This record gives sequence, C-alpha cells and structure tokens, in this order.
Amino acid sequence: MKNRYLFAVILFLLAIVLPFVVTEFWVHVLTEILILALFAASFNMIFGYMGQLSFGHAAYYGVGAYTTGLLMVKANVPMLVCLPLSMFSAGLCAAVLGYFCVKLRGIYFAILTMAFGQLVYYIIFQWYSFTGGDNGLQGIVPPDFLGRAANPYYFFTLIVVTVGLIALWIISESPFGYTMRAIRDNAERTEFIGINVQRYMHLNFIIAAVFAGLAGALWGPFNRSVAPDLTNWQHSGMPVFMTVIGGPFSFLGPLFGSAIYTFLMALVTSFTEYWPLVSGVIIILVVLLMPGGLLGLLNEKFPSLMRKVTGAGETNGQGRQEL
Amino acid sequence: MDITSLFAQFLSGLTYGTILFLVAAGLSLIFGVMNILNFAHAALWLMGAYFSWTFWSLMQGNSFAFWLSIPLAGFAAAAVGWLIEVVLIKRIYKRELYEQLLITYSLALILSDTIKLTWGVTNKLVVRPEMIQKPVFIFGAPLDSYFLFVIAAGAVVATGLWWFLKYTRYGHIVKAAVFSREMVGALGIPIPRIFTWVFTLGIFLAGFAGGIQVPIGSVTLGMDTAIIIQAFCVVVIGGFGSLLGTLVGSLIVGEVMSFTILFWPEGAMVLIFIITAAILIVRPWGLFGTPMRT
Repeated sequence: MKNRYLFAVILFLLAIVLPFVVTEFWVHVLTEILILALFAASFNMIFGYMGQLSFGHAAYYGVGAYTTGLLMVKANVPMLVCLPLSMFSAGLCAAVLGYFCVKLRGIYFAILTMAFGQLVYYIIFQWYSFTGGDNGLQGIVPPDFLGRAANPYYFFTLIVVTVGLIALWIISESPFGYTMRAIRDNAERTEFIGINVQRYMHLNFIIAAVFAGLAGALWGPFNRSVAPDLTNWQHSGMPVFMTVIGGPFSFLGPLFGSAIYTFLMALVTSFTEYWPLVSGVIIILVVLLMPGGLLGLLNEKFPSLMRKVTGAGETNGQGRQEL
Repeated sequence: MDITSLFAQFLSGLTYGTILFLVAAGLSLIFGVMNILNFAHAALWLMGAYFSWTFWSLMQGNSFAFWLSIPLAGFAAAAVGWLIEVVLIKRIYKRELYEQLLITYSLALILSDTIKLTWGVTNKLVVRPEMIQKPVFIFGAPLDSYFLFVIAAGAVVATGLWWFLKYTRYGHIVKAAVFSREMVGALGIPIPRIFTWVFTLGIFLAGFAGGIQVPIGSVTLGMDTAIIIQAFCVVVIGGFGSLLGTLVGSLIVGEVMSFTILFWPEGAMVLIFIITAAILIVRPWGLFGTPMRT
C-alpha cells in the first residue's frame, strides 16, 4: 500500500519540474494536457467505472467553459469564483439530461448522450445574443495575479487539476466507486442486493459532469476564448480517444492518454494539417493491437510494476456483443 | 401564409427527407444486421459525391455522363466499402461496442482526410443537362426540376429495398439476421459473408446518395460531419434496421426542418434533437424497430 501512490507522486514532481526545462510552446501543451486529462478522467468515471460509453461528455465540458467565459466577460466575476460555479452549472445540466440517459444502456446510452450533446451544441451555436453563436466569446483573460506568462497559469492549472483528480480518485475508491464497478460488471445483481442502480448511475453521471465542467472552466482563460465547437460530438470523441489510448481500466489511464494524444497532436499539427488522418490510424492500431490501452499493455508485460497503479480493474466484458 | 408557399415548403422538406433517406437507409441496414454504428457512413457518402464528380468530368461531353455518373459513384463507393469490410470491420465483429464505435469513427477521420488529399480543397461542381435547368411548377409552387429526379430516385431505392427484403432469399436472410444473428448462423448460413454483402450494399446506397447530392449544390469538404448526425437521428426515430422506419424518420426530419425554418430558423436542429432524444427515452428501438435483439 505504501508504494501505491509513489507513481502518482513521481508524476506530480515531473509535472512541477517540466515547465522549467521546456520552451513556452511546450508549457502551453502541458497546460492543455492537464486540462484534457481532467476532462478524460471525468469521462472515465462513466466509461471505465460505470461501463457506459458517453458520446456527449463535451457538453458538460462546454457548459463549464461557457459558464466561466460568460461570467468573466459579461459580469467581471473573478475566475476563482467562476470555477465552482462552472462545476455547479455543468452538474445541474447533467442532473437534468443524465436523468434520462441512465435509463438506457449500451448503444442507446451512447446515442442519447450524443443527441443531448448536440442539443447543447446547437443551443449555444444559435443563441447569438447570449453566447455569441459561432463567434464564441473572446477576451477571457486569466486574473492579474497569474500574469500573462505561460508558467503561472500552468501551475494554477496543475493545482486545480490535481485537486480535481484527487477528488475523483477518492470517489472512485470509496464504497460508491465500488458500487459503480458492481453496476458495470452486473447491473442486475447489483439491483438484487438492494442498490438503486439508476439513482447511483445518475449520481455518477452528475459527478463526472461536475469535473468535466471544472476542466472546461480552465479552458477559457487558458485559450483566451471559448467556441461552440467545445461541445460538439467531435470534441466528445477526444476523451474517448484518450481513455482508450491510455487504458480505460486504470485511474491513470486517461492521464497518460491525454499526455500522449495532446503531445502527438501538438507535434503532428506543427508540420501537417492531416492530424485527423494520423489520429485515426493511431486509434485503429490501438484498438486492434492493444485493446487495454498503454497501461493495459504494461500491465500485461510487467505485472509487478503495474500492481502499484490500481484503478478500475479489468471488466468481465459485460456489454460484449455475441455474434 | 398562403397554401402555395406552404406546399413549396412541403416539397423542399420532401426533397431533403429523400436525401436523408438515401443516406440513412444504408446506415440503418448496417446497424440492423451487423449491430455496428457506422460513423464512416457519411464520409463514404461524401466520397461517392466526389467519385460522381470525377466520373462526370471524365465523361464530359457525353449526353449520358450526368446520369451515368450517379450509379457509377455507388459502385465505386461500394468497392471501397467492400475493401473496408474485408480488411477492417471483419476484425471487430466480436469486439466491445466502444471499440467498434472507435474504429468506424477513426475511419471517418481517415476517409475525410483521404478525400481532402485526393480531390483537394476546391469545391466541385457539375453542369446540369439542359432539361433540368429550369424549375417546374407544381400547383403553382416552384420546384427545382432536379428534385423530381431526387424524389423519384428515393422512391425507386425504397421500393427496390422493400422488394429485396420481401421477395428474395437474401432479403429474407437479412431480415432474419436483424432479429437474431445467432439463429441465422445456427441454420447454417455463413454470417460473415452476409455481413460483407450487407455492408457493401449499405455503402453502395451511401455512394449512390452522394452521387445524387452533387447536382444540388457544389460538393465541399466537411459536408459529411453535418449530415451524419442527422442520419443518426433519422435512424433512431425510425428504428434501427427498419426500412419503413427509416423512410418515415427521414420524412419527419426533412419536414420538421423545412417547416421549423419558417417560423423559428434557429430552432430547427434543436427540435430535431429533442424529437430524437424523446424517441430514445420513450421507445429506444424507434417508431418501427423491434425491441427484441440478440
């Protein structure tokens, strides 16, 4: 148990040292990695722990981003106040939409989350007077105490994301987290032992959205703007990609996935515009050749090393389709 | 609002519904039989549109070029679809749902960029034959005369598929496979081969629909991402694997879009997603689908 957190501590120390050794461009990339890591980790609460594929998670990320963006631009609310408000608004949104989503399973869950995601996207896209429509919102600047340089905002993001991830970790290791695993592995049995499966799933959906909202809130001031594209289905695909690359059955999987995906994206887009093509090939190779993601592969090759990094654990394959 | 303009709006909805039907029919067929939600469907549809433009350019000057390029686009897309099925989709039949989704999603990304690499970023335009350059008037409502062809093509495809499913041996196998693939396999029918041909047929329809799309406006990159979500909505509303459902679903989406634009232009897509979500919540298998699936 002692060594359990060693890996995470090493990662954290690495995250502190890295911005001092790389150029400013890569500090921006690192900030992006952190924000998207929180986004992907929140998505994995639904995917890895609850066993349902959400294809509309960007909706809650976008609601969080727009809450902070609107409050900062239109009402001059300080950013530190905006963050919890973003979490609240994303959670509220998920409380309403998630109520319907958790009634469905499998492909229907995926499509309904996507339909709701597109609904949120079109509302933001069309509501010019309030959200700026497809122009988005510009001029979201980080508060003065963070200055204009890349490093302070990076460390601010690191603190917020670390707190968010620790909170997610505590939730996923709590009895509630184990209930989610039970639901994932066999919802029917879980119901039989007296657990209100739908209510638990609903709560988990809200929790996932709350942290997606927090990740989204960090995005606006980082990027100086928000755009409706943050909520559409292509953006919802990103946490899925990251989680699958990193490994959905481990808590740190989405973090690794975010690091790999964002790093490659920054690298590839610097010399070609065909990043979708490259990312598509990568995803297909990952799905075909290493179904458990990077951490799944490490787990297979070096089981002794990986035992320290526990997480969701392998699923029994519920939802697997029979031919 | 007078009756003529309402009728014109109805016709435009009918046309859009027909286009959606042609795209969604293959999508619904593939999902119904193979249980694979094909994100790449619209990319192959767009590829069909570009194929059609290429065939038209190659045969330019011939009077039949315009009409011939459309079915040829279907066959070219079907060839690509067949290749994709044999090389890639075959490997993921028994995989998890999310893996199948990711594979077809990645395929959509790859195909979109392949289109960009092959045909470039400039818009493609075909010149229509003289006979369909002027609008026709139906009860005083003007209608692009090409739309008559679109609606007729939709009707022919719908009737053809209906006939195929109802009266041919392979149609019966396909219908049975929508209900229970396991049972069909147990009866000694080679399921993998059926899958390959269903996928190829579905992509043929996509390519054909792409060919039909070309003369309506110019062909541009990114058209696929807009239409795929609407095609999903059609399939969800109608019910996966149901031909009648896809037909009704596409007409609902086409008409709702067309009439909402009259009084609440911003809300057209919002309304479509509300309808889709409502159907999913109340009847996840759609209006005409069947809840029993194994």
